[in-house]
Amino acid sequence: MIPHADDALRMLSQRLMTQLLPDLKSLYSLSDGALIGLLINAIADEMAEGIQRRLDDIAEMKRIFIAGEALLSSKDKEVTAAELSSYRLADVNDHHDALSRILVLLHEASENKGFEALNQSIWTYLRRHTQRHKITAVP
Amino acid sequence: MITTDQVQIAAAEYLGEKWGTSVTVCNVEKIFGGASRETYKLSLEVDGETRGVILRRDPPSSLIDTERHLEYGAYDRIYPTDIPVPEPLFLENSPDFLEQPFSIMAAVENPMSDVAQLSNDQKQKIGQQKYDLLGRLAAKDPLALKFDEIMTVPKVVSTAAEQLAYWQGIINEDEIHPQPIAQAAIRWLAANLPPPAQKISIVHGDYRTGNFLFNDQAQITAILDWEMCHLGDPLEDLAWSLDPLWSGEELALAGRLIPHGQAIQIWCEASGLSCNEQALKWWRIFVSVKAVAIWISSSENFENGEGKDAILAMAGWVMTDRQNRILLDYLAPEVLS
Repeated sequence: MIPHADDALRMLSQRLMTQLLPDLKSLYSLSDGALIGLLINAIADEMAEGIQRRLDDIAEMKRIFIAGEALLSSKDKEVTAAELSSYRLADVNDHHDALSRILVLLHEASENKGFEALNQSIWTYLRRHTQRHKITAVP
Repeated sequence: MITTDQVQIAAAEYLGEKWGTSVTVCNVEKIFGGASRETYKLSLEVDGETRGVILRRDPPSSLIDTERHLEYGAYDRIYPTDIPVPEPLFLENSPDFLEQPFSIMAAVENPMSDVAQLSNDQKQKIGQQKYDLLGRLAAKDPLALKFDEIMTVPKVVSTAAEQLAYWQGIINEDEIHPQPIAQAAIRWLAANLPPPAQKISIVHGDYRTGNFLFNDQAQITAILDWEMCHLGDPLEDLAWSLDPLWSGEELALAGRLIPHGQAIQIWCEASGLSCNEQALKWWRIFVSVKAVAIWISSSENFENGEGKDAILAMAGWVMTDRQNRILLDYLAPEVLS
């Protein structure tokens, strides 16, 4: 039983990089192993924070969709109004993707129709989105 | 997946047949970082003499889905010029020897590629050569070097739009997740196409620190990785080399070597071309989109199981994240206004 899987991954990554890799003779394996170790750290962060990051994105996108309702199709409105099917990362991710697809269309429509405030709010969201998802585990 | 032992046996047989003499492969070392091809350094004994060669083997998947004959053809045509590249030796299209096609080039002696440990003077020296060489490449006549035999010659008026359409297609085809930032960038690029290219040049396609070798005298000895070589606007290479992704924390330095302004000035002097600010801005945004496309492609390869190299996951995830932030810094309304 590992209650904190992200911490467990970080510890395993550290063990890989500090205790196992130094014994490797091939420079290729050493480099590849180090990269895998860094990726495990990034995955640990995603495991710990990934769902919440996406939920924050989803909440913010939904506010944008309300502001841009006039530019959404009825089908898009159905998608934006749908509830999450579960809090599993894969399901949250699918929902996030579905909303992001609509965001791309709304962004384009806001440019074409001169909805400047809406356009600005989408850029602000994109800035916050990239800050939320910034990968710090890999230098 | 093949082992270094397999490479050792097959290379000895292949080179022995090609050179008509006995070849002993003394050592095989797989080189890390060759994400578009598996790369091996081989130490040989041929007729009592030792020499090194580099073998590049097509993997089942790569960061860049390129055709090997274009890359090899580029090496073949550049090698006789004043642009230093490794000597191309053989291109083998048959999978009979190593299960995949491969190429073999002469190894460069005492190669170094990591600039992190260099002194400022050494960085300055290498940076000047890097942009002088890029300018000289831009100045060359691709038709005189017979590049038209291996790749399409675009028109000066349409090369930017064609490049944009190509990489947009890659993003649309390979994206696993929607890419709102890249899509916004593509719309901006389409609406703000640059003036016609000053000329059609040989574009290396991945000209950056890390893709050239230098020696302990801080002399650039070989420019590598021509797999994305094409003909087009020479500003593309300049823009790619200036991308913040290659600068690490030293954003004021082009490829962690010399200041951007100095790099551009050297390039202009060596190429005899000018550097229109608006056109360069377009190409800088374009190369970030192109980079996103490459990282997305690698991510798709990793996700669908075609490739299992960690470098594919790293590119597809970590580098897309960084590249998106670079694009935001170019395109957000507060920057553009």
